[in-house]
Amino acid sequence: MPTRRRPRSPSSDDTRAKRARVTNWSKREPVSSSSFSSKRCEAWFHEYTSPDEDEISPEGMEKFCEDIGVEPENIVMLSLAWKLKANRMGYFTAEEWAKGMKDIQCDSTEKLQQKLDYLKTLLDHPVHFKNIYRYAFDFAREKDQRSMDIDTAKAMLSLALGKHWSLYGSFHQFLEQSKYKVINKDQWCNILEFSRSVAADLSNYDEDGAWPVLLDEFVDWFKEQKKNS
Amino acid sequence: MPLSSPNKISLTEQPKVDEIRENKRKRNDENNPSPLKRARELDDPANMTDSQRKPNFSALTTPNNGITRHSSPLSNNKPGAAKKLVIKNFKEKPKMPENFQQETWRKLCEAVEAIHKSCSIRYSLEELYQAVENMCSYKMSANLYEQLKLVCEAHVRTCLEQFKADNSDYEQFLKLLDFCWQAHCRQMIMIRSIFLFLDRTFVLQNSTILSIWDMGLDLFRANVISDKVVEVKTVDGLLRLIERERNGEAVNRQLLKSLLRMLSDLQIYKEAFEKKFLEATDRLYAAEGQQLMQERDVPEYLHHVDKRLNEETERLLHYLDQSTKKPLIACVEKQLIDQHLPQILNKGLDNMLQENRIGDLMLLYQLFTRVNHGQKDLCSMFAVYIKKAGRMIVINNENDPDKDKEMVQKLLDFKDKIDNIIDVCFGKSEKFVNAMKESFENFINQRQNKPAELIAKYVDSKLKAGNKEATEEELEHLLDKIMVLFRFIHGKDVFEAFYKKDLAKRLLMSKSASVDAEKSMLSKLKQECGAAFTSKLEGMFKDMDLSKDLSLALKPYMQNLDVAGLIDLTVNILTMGYWPTYTPMEVHLPPEMIRYQEIFKKFYLGKHSGRKLQWQPSLGHCVLKAQFPSANKELQVSLFQSLCLLLFNTGNVLTYEEILTATAIEESELKRTLQSLACGKPTLRVLSKKPKGRDIEDGDKFYFNEEFKHPLFRIRINQVQMKETPEENTSTTERVFHDRQYQVDAAIVRIMKTRKTLSHNLLISELFNQLKFPVKPTDLKKRIESLIDRDYMERDKDNPNNYHYVA
Repeated sequence: MPTRRRPRSPSSDDTRAKRARVTNWSKREPVSSSSFSSKRCEAWFHEYTSPDEDEISPEGMEKFCEDIGVEPENIVMLSLAWKLKANRMGYFTAEEWAKGMKDIQCDSTEKLQQKLDYLKTLLDHPVHFKNIYRYAFDFAREKDQRSMDIDTAKAMLSLALGKHWSLYGSFHQFLEQSKYKVINKDQWCNILEFSRSVAADLSNYDEDGAWPVLLDEFVDWFKEQKKNS
Repeated sequence: MPLSSPNKISLTEQPKVDEIRENKRKRNDENNPSPLKRARELDDPANMTDSQRKPNFSALTTPNNGITRHSSPLSNNKPGAAKKLVIKNFKEKPKMPENFQQETWRKLCEAVEAIHKSCSIRYSLEELYQAVENMCSYKMSANLYEQLKLVCEAHVRTCLEQFKADNSDYEQFLKLLDFCWQAHCRQMIMIRSIFLFLDRTFVLQNSTILSIWDMGLDLFRANVISDKVVEVKTVDGLLRLIERERNGEAVNRQLLKSLLRMLSDLQIYKEAFEKKFLEATDRLYAAEGQQLMQERDVPEYLHHVDKRLNEETERLLHYLDQSTKKPLIACVEKQLIDQHLPQILNKGLDNMLQENRIGDLMLLYQLFTRVNHGQKDLCSMFAVYIKKAGRMIVINNENDPDKDKEMVQKLLDFKDKIDNIIDVCFGKSEKFVNAMKESFENFINQRQNKPAELIAKYVDSKLKAGNKEATEEELEHLLDKIMVLFRFIHGKDVFEAFYKKDLAKRLLMSKSASVDAEKSMLSKLKQECGAAFTSKLEGMFKDMDLSKDLSLALKPYMQNLDVAGLIDLTVNILTMGYWPTYTPMEVHLPPEMIRYQEIFKKFYLGKHSGRKLQWQPSLGHCVLKAQFPSANKELQVSLFQSLCLLLFNTGNVLTYEEILTATAIEESELKRTLQSLACGKPTLRVLSKKPKGRDIEDGDKFYFNEEFKHPLFRIRINQVQMKETPEENTSTTERVFHDRQYQVDAAIVRIMKTRKTLSHNLLISELFNQLKFPVKPTDLKKRIESLIDRDYMERDKDNPNNYHYVA
């Protein structure tokens, strides 16, 4: 399926880069308690599944979050999911788990808890964040849809951009009143670009630019609101 | 022989040489009278007594001067007298009378004074001329010249006195001056004739000395005209005379001419007169321009300007010096036209164009061509007018259908009018033609789609049968004119959609007035927009031809089958895609018809297997035989109408609901059908309805009209002309927009496929180049996004302004 292939292919480069970084890190801090064990990791995985399943379902996920002491809505979970290359929100497959946890050298709750800070720092890195943000679209959308429905989109946007983008509040309002029912990937990606490159007073916004119509409409709406108030 | 005087020897010998030469010359002269002789005759003072000399007299005689100089008295002697000369020379040198110079001068002076006083001269002119010649021969030329000058100067001075003393009005003064000048010229000519020898010898040898004529002019200039009082008075007088003429009075043009001629002759025309004259002209016309611009309307003003220009040209012809022509005309043009360009255009152009004032416009163009920017400004204002007037025709904010109906005819008339103005008034100037085209294109596209639609409908109305108002040529001519309008339209696809819809109607209902006209229109469209544009339309014609052949083949097939019941079936096969899309309707056909359909289906699919036939009941029409009590008739009706009418074979009364269930025709369609049968023209009501009324309501009852009467045997009952329902209109328009979307998509993919990677702005501008219809950037963006969403292209990860093509 081309849709699945496409978003993946470019990320293979990132993985290689990351792998290098991980090894560096492990050298710096030579094995906190004990070295990584695939067996332990697998056992750890099965703590959150029913015996015959090979994926963590939303219930298991809830327990997992509880164990590592993170709210499920915490953005660090997005970062973790990205690390694990989880395909679907609320689920980790055995394969994703084994490969991803090995990458970050975690085979227990404690080790992962120690890693949380590192996962948080990834979010502050612009390049990583962009990749995580783009990944979030495919992660969060319904797998049988090409686009993300508007409610999920709003939730994900507030999770990802709510704190960083000063216009997010307005944008949220705009989506509330707009007729859009879904957000496609292009729109999703450009919202991040917009939030990064256009000033809060829209002074450097170019109406002849390539912004998707959604964002042009947002700007028009925003200006209209300002004029009325 | 005394050798003491070497001079004598040389004197003796010299003539000898001369003699031989002279002899030779004489012999020649006998055959060929020398120019010298003729010149002498002409120069003879006696001949000059009639004093009507032209001032250029000296010019006429000048070429002879060189020859006369050679003619010393010696050479005049006859060949036989040569010896005498020799002898005379040996005599004692003749002595000049003591008082020769004084005496001769006295004589001459007397003559000159007599000339000055215009009284008769005591001596013959011949004598005086001889006197001058003698004096010159005795080297008294310089003296003579000086003395002559003194005498003349003294005389001129006396003239001056009379001007200074003169207090009469300027016209009198001018006349006096003119008289004096004329006299002076006459006198100088006379004097010069007498002193011709001096003029030809002494003066010519000394380039610093003025000829007698020039001396006369110089004296007059230096002593009379250069006098401030006289000069000012003269020039002012002239200016006042001209001003009076400009104000419409008749003045003495001869006087003006003569005096201005004098100024030119005296070479003070430019400094003394022209400058002041131009200043006065400038002042006058500046004031006049200002005033008349206020007072008069523009055409009147233009005529006045034209009149002024003509007057000034005439003035140039009659008395002004030709050198004044350029600055004078320029001055008038500047003050009367150039200064008022914007006012003239703003105040008058629109009206003149509106009222089609050919003559005035022609004049306007002529006048404006005279000044810089005149044509350019006129052209741009002309364009503004066309845009404004065109908008009035095209824009219809209230959507008044009557106004729309007239639009195309008005546009054609407007175009004719403008063309005529350009042809007749603006000299068919390329610039104006282009401005016109640009303006038409501008205003006609200010309202989207509607003009294209109306032009298509206008063509339909002209090509429809029953349009007998035009002959073939007129129709052809009209179509040509429509094509010109069509050329300006941006959304040609809208035209095509509506044209196609109407063409389909014409073809299927055989309503087309003339196949030739249809084909000619088609070829015009093809020429204008290319084969791709008309391929579908041509396909429609092809379908019609094929269907005709098919019907011919069908007939024997039917006869072979020997089907019961005689229905003549004609089927038109319409290739899907060529024709407008018709929404298929399911209706209940009578069993006979269904049987025929089956037979045809078998027949057709037997010929062309694998095709799918879909019947379009909405396009069918039938001829029904009807037996009314009064007479038998043939009714030409649509398929829907016949379905309704056939029901009355079973009973004379039917309710609306019964008809609805029996035919299954869509309700609004059925209502219209019944309306045409029961509520049309009273003479065409084959059904009657209860209760009576124009509209069909549920529960209405319909009866077979037994009283139906009509003079004709075959009657056509038209469908109630659906005035093209708004839905139909919007659906056509929508279909156009839909097609446009595909065109945009195709163009984007085409561009991206060749360029692979392209920035947003370049892609947009490339699209604007390729797309033939008006489109907004936002719409393009939407299509781009849609293509991104469908994986035809993608946005660059790091630069959202760049797109990549996705193979």
